[in-house]
Order: sequence, then structure tokens, then C-alpha cells
Amino acid sequence: MLESLLALGGLVLLRDSVEWEGRSLLKALIKKSALCGEQVHILGCEVSEEEFREGFDSNINSRLVYHDLFRDPLNWSETGETLPGGPLEALRALCRRTDPGPVTIALDSLSWLLLHLPCTTLCQTLHTLSHQDSCHGDSSPGEQVHVLGLLHEELHGPGPLGVLSSLAQTEVTLSGAMGQASAHILYRRPQQRLTHQTQWFSILPDFSLELQGGPPLEPQPYPDPRVPSMDPTTHLTFNLRLSKKEREAKDSLTLPFQFSSEKQQALLCPGLGQATSHIFYEPDAYDDLDQEDPDDDLDV
Amino acid sequence: MAAAASCSTSTRSTGSVVVAASRNSVTSFQRRGPRASGTDSGCSRLVSIAGTRPSVRNGQLLVSTGLPALDQLLGGGLAVGTVLLIEEDKYNIYSPLLFKYFLAEGIVTGHTLLVASAKEDPADILQELPAPLLDDNCKKECDEDICNHKTESNIKMKIAWRYQLLPKMEARPVSSSRFGHYYDVSKRIPQELIEASKWHGFFLPEKISSTLNLEPCSLNHGYIKLLQFIQNIIYEEGFDGSNPQKKQKNILRIGIQNLGSPLWGDDICWTENCDSNHSLTKFLYMLRGLLRSSLSACIITVPTHLIQNKAIIARVTNLSDTVVGLESFIGSEKETNPLYKDYHGLIHIRQIPQLNNLIYDVSDVKDLAFKLKRKLFTIEHPPTPTVLLPSQTSTSRGHSPVW
Repeated sequence: MLESLLALGGLVLLRDSVEWEGRSLLKALIKKSALCGEQVHILGCEVSEEEFREGFDSNINSRLVYHDLFRDPLNWSETGETLPGGPLEALRALCRRTDPGPVTIALDSLSWLLLHLPCTTLCQTLHTLSHQDSCHGDSSPGEQVHVLGLLHEELHGPGPLGVLSSLAQTEVTLSGAMGQASAHILYRRPQQRLTHQTQWFSILPDFSLELQGGPPLEPQPYPDPRVPSMDPTTHLTFNLRLSKKEREAKDSLTLPFQFSSEKQQALLCPGLGQATSHIFYEPDAYDDLDQEDPDDDLDV
Repeated sequence: MAAAASCSTSTRSTGSVVVAASRNSVTSFQRRGPRASGTDSGCSRLVSIAGTRPSVRNGQLLVSTGLPALDQLLGGGLAVGTVLLIEEDKYNIYSPLLFKYFLAEGIVTGHTLLVASAKEDPADILQELPAPLLDDNCKKECDEDICNHKTESNIKMKIAWRYQLLPKMEARPVSSSRFGHYYDVSKRIPQELIEASKWHGFFLPEKISSTLNLEPCSLNHGYIKLLQFIQNIIYEEGFDGSNPQKKQKNILRIGIQNLGSPLWGDDICWTENCDSNHSLTKFLYMLRGLLRSSLSACIITVPTHLIQNKAIIARVTNLSDTVVGLESFIGSEKETNPLYKDYHGLIHIRQIPQLNNLIYDVSDVKDLAFKLKRKLFTIEHPPTPTVLLPSQTSTSRGHSPVW
């Protein structure tokens, strides 16, 4: 899946960190698309052009169009070599590019652009850049624009990271274990579920991508195996199981309205201390206790 | 005396719908006229617009949100003149679906649409709307009508010959007299329905020229343009009653996607304290003013999980009328919870408006989960924990809760 990252189109975000750097993966993807015959434009902001081009052989280097923002970002030398207008103008020029054919645009570092450009302008420009194919009328799937952005995730807070993740079609987070790098790829296609995959890889010295064994999982919808499954029987307000003592106590409980043999005996033979109950009645002043039967007066 | 009072209240409750519906008429006893008022029949003086119905609680005019289950949870539907705010889920998978249901319902009932987005072209959004599910009987009738159109005139009605002179009911492909339709998510809406409908689109990159120096003003430029656009449409098409329409009154359904994201030029998803803290809230305030004075209903999706300042989220919620939040299980620990294994997320009804009412209409169900099946989006109650107890066989008595 890592090798077909570019086939998906749109913005691909490569998030790296201090321990696992992403520039080599960026260069490997650039090399792959250059070998496929696409045009490659690189906006270099963080490293010099010589350093970026080193490691590529000459036929690849001839295909790369490098826009250098590293040497003179503020255009102090005014030699006319650097792009006027700074990085924003460079991005806009890439948007207005009208050459046909599939193209890959690599932003050497989105972090640099984030720190130097206002955020909303950058987001809008990135969106226009990655959706360029739709404004050129009908475009075959081979004519897509692929934008690769390298983002150093430790430099930014949760706000910018969240926004760029929502803009990106594919997000690759680099991590690793025991000297082996892995890429956690999260990609979403429109109208479809999110899928993710973890791929172990290594980059060879000539910047070709080699996929490793490791534990590469097949693409699956996004479960997170680190989180333990929740047990619904925790934190209930009632007991689900009885201990042995509780069970015995429950069994030996006599119910109040059950007529057991003990009760029968108690009622039949009043014991020593038990007296049968008597009712004592004191008639009121209003009670008419006449022993005669009132029906006796009737002559029936 | 008590019996008489209860008797009168019961008659009032049964007749309340009719009474509420016929506010404009002279007498309170009115036969409920046909809902689809395509032809101007002189008998009913009800102002009945296609696709609307009065609420049984407070007489407010309601439109359907496109999902009958959601209509029921919101108390019958969305009131005309109000805003439905949808808080997007984390990866923005399910909130566009609710958005599309709303717009598809507008097409099916013949309302005018206004679609605004900074991300996608409105024409593309309309192409992706779900197809309405037709009644099977209606469909068969349509087919039969088409095939034997000629021969049916004198052959039928040997017994019910008195009805032969009555005007024929048109078997329209979609019955717009119903309130709330069902849609098939796996299919696209037929092209002729889109072409027959009236819609206006607002795509932000086209409307705003990308110039660098825009003088900072209190409200975001994208929002200003959108408000002007909405106001123009409402005024020109007469939704606020400014041009007295001879023709049928209609509802304007407004859909705004991803409001508050940086693509609209708003900073609130970026930092916690930004200059344009108040743009979105001012926009919502003005939008609500526009809506209240016109026959329109609006759906807005906002990525609240990206907004950094919690106070803004609270303000946005207060400024909207109905607020529904979607929380998907993707990537969260709830995905492995066995309670939720059949569902794709939770839906929270955060707020229901109190319109012309003294009673608070709080939804009495607190936990609802949604599921996107292949064709349908359903909202259900997730099962309670005790239902899912694993059946253990160690003790014979089973699990009886002991208090």
C-alpha cells in the first residue's frame, strides 16, 4: 500500500518526528513518480538544493523542477533568481500551472510554510492545489495532481495538525521499533469508510523503497488494538454473582407470608410464653349494643 | 365536572391539528385540504406549501430533514426559519450524509435549494445526493400508465362508471404530498430530478478573488459574501414576502458545509486566541436574522472537534436553534465496546429550540446510536448493558441481580 500512495491523488501528508525522519521517504516517493514519467515540482524550503538532489541519479535529477526557497527566502539579494513574492506566490504559480499530464508536487516542508504563511491562506492554497484537476474540465485518472507534504508534527499544536489532517486525503505517520521504520497509513476515499494500514519499510541508499516483513497487516477498517475492550459488567449498581455465604443466607431465608410447618405448629399449640390474643372492647357512648334482634318485630 | 373538563380537552387535542392548521380561516372547523397544493382549489383557504406541515405542539410550520427518524427526534421536523447545526464527526464521514439527505428532501418536495461550500463545487454535491425510494405501487402505476396510455380510457369503469368523469390523478414519480421520504444511499439521484429543481450554488473560491491584501474587518470576507448572496436570493425570489408572489409560496433550503473551517478563511480551528474570534458567531447571528424573516430553513455543518476554543463552541451552539452532534466510533475506544459493536457512532441531540413556547422541549432519549447500512442511515437505541451479559454456564441459577 505504501508504494501506491500516490495513486490516490490529493494531498498526502507525511508526518514525521525527530526519531523517525520523513525526508528520505519523501525522496523515495519523488523518485518513484519521476520514474513513472510524471513531472515533479519541488518547493524546497528547509534544505539546500544540492543536499536535496544528492542521492538521485542524473536522469531523475533532470526531471525534477526545483523551486528554491531556502537560499534566499526574503529575496534580499535581489538577483532575480529567487521567486518574487515569496512562498505564497510560488504556491500560487504552481496552482496556475497549465501543463497537461500528471504532476507531483512535493512541499519540502509544510511545517516551514505553516510557520511563515497565514494559516487560512495556506489551507485554501493547498486545497486549490490538490483539487486542480477538477477545474480543468474532464480529466482522466492519470492526470491527477499529487501533493506530498512533509510535516514535522512536533512543531505544531493540535489545531494545525487537526486541520491539515482533515484537509488531507492520506495521512502517513512515521514511527518504528527497534531500528525498523514503519508507516501508519490512514486514507479515506470520498464516500467510503476510513481504512488504515501499518507497513514496515526501509529506504535503500539510492532512495528506493523496500517493504519489509515486520507485521504488515492487510488493510482493514480502523480498530485500535492497543485499547482493551470494555467490559459492560463493570460499574453496575447491582450484584451479578453471589458468593457462597450469600447464597446460603438467601436459601435459608424464610419468606414472611409462607405457611411453613413451623408456623403451623406455633399457631396450633400456643407455647408457654405465648398467650392467645384477646380482644378487649369498651363500648363507646354512641354504641348501641342491643342484644335483641331487630328483626323480631317483623311479622313475617 | 372533572369528566366534562377532560372530555373537552380530549376533543381539543384531536382537533388541535386542524385548528392549528387553519389559523387563517374564519371558522375553526375546516376540512383538511389536500397537502400538495399544486392546483389552486378554492375550497381550502389553508396556506399549504408542499413538503411542510404544522407542528402538533405549537403550530410552527415544519419541514422534514430528510431522515424520518431524525424528524421524530426533533419533535416532528425542522421549523421553518431556524438553523439546524450538525457537529461533524472526526473524519467527516457521516455529517455529509445528513447534509445530503436535507438537500435531497428539498429536491423531492420541490423546494428551492441554496448550497454553499468552500470545499466542493455545489454542482458536484448535488450530483451525489441519494436517490429517493419510490413506493412500489406508485412505480408500477407509472409503468402501466406509460404502456397502456391509449387503451385505458373506455375499458375500465364498468361498475364505478360515475367516477369516470373525475379528473385523473397524475401518477407522479415521487409523491411530494408526503412528509419525509426515504432514500437509498447506494444510488444517485436521477439527473432529471436535479434538472427539474431550482438551485443556487455558492462556491467560495469562485466568489472570492485571491488577493493578498484584504483589509481586516470585523467579519470574514467569505462570510460577508455568503450573507450577501443569501440575502439577494431571498429578496429576488420573494421568500421574505417582499415581492408578493402570484405563484405558489415555496421554502428555501439553505445548506452550508464545513462552516468555520480554514477553507472559509476562518482561524478558529487553528489557534485558541485568534483575531477573528467573533466572525463565526456574528455570521450565525445575522444568518438567523435573515432566516427568521423569510420562509427558509438552513442546515450547517461545523467541524467542532477542530475548534480550539471551547467558548466558541458554546456560543455557536447557543446561536443555533437545533443542534445535533455526531460522534463516530472510528479510532476511539468505544469501537471495541461490545455494546456498540453493531453501530457506527453516537448521535447526540444537544439542543431543541423553544419557539413560541414556554415549555422546554427536551428530548427524552439520551443515548442514541446510528448505523450506516448499505442503503439506509438508521438511528436506534443501543442495547443496555444487562442485555448483553455473557451467558455463563458455571452456576445453574443464572444471574439474578441481588439488591
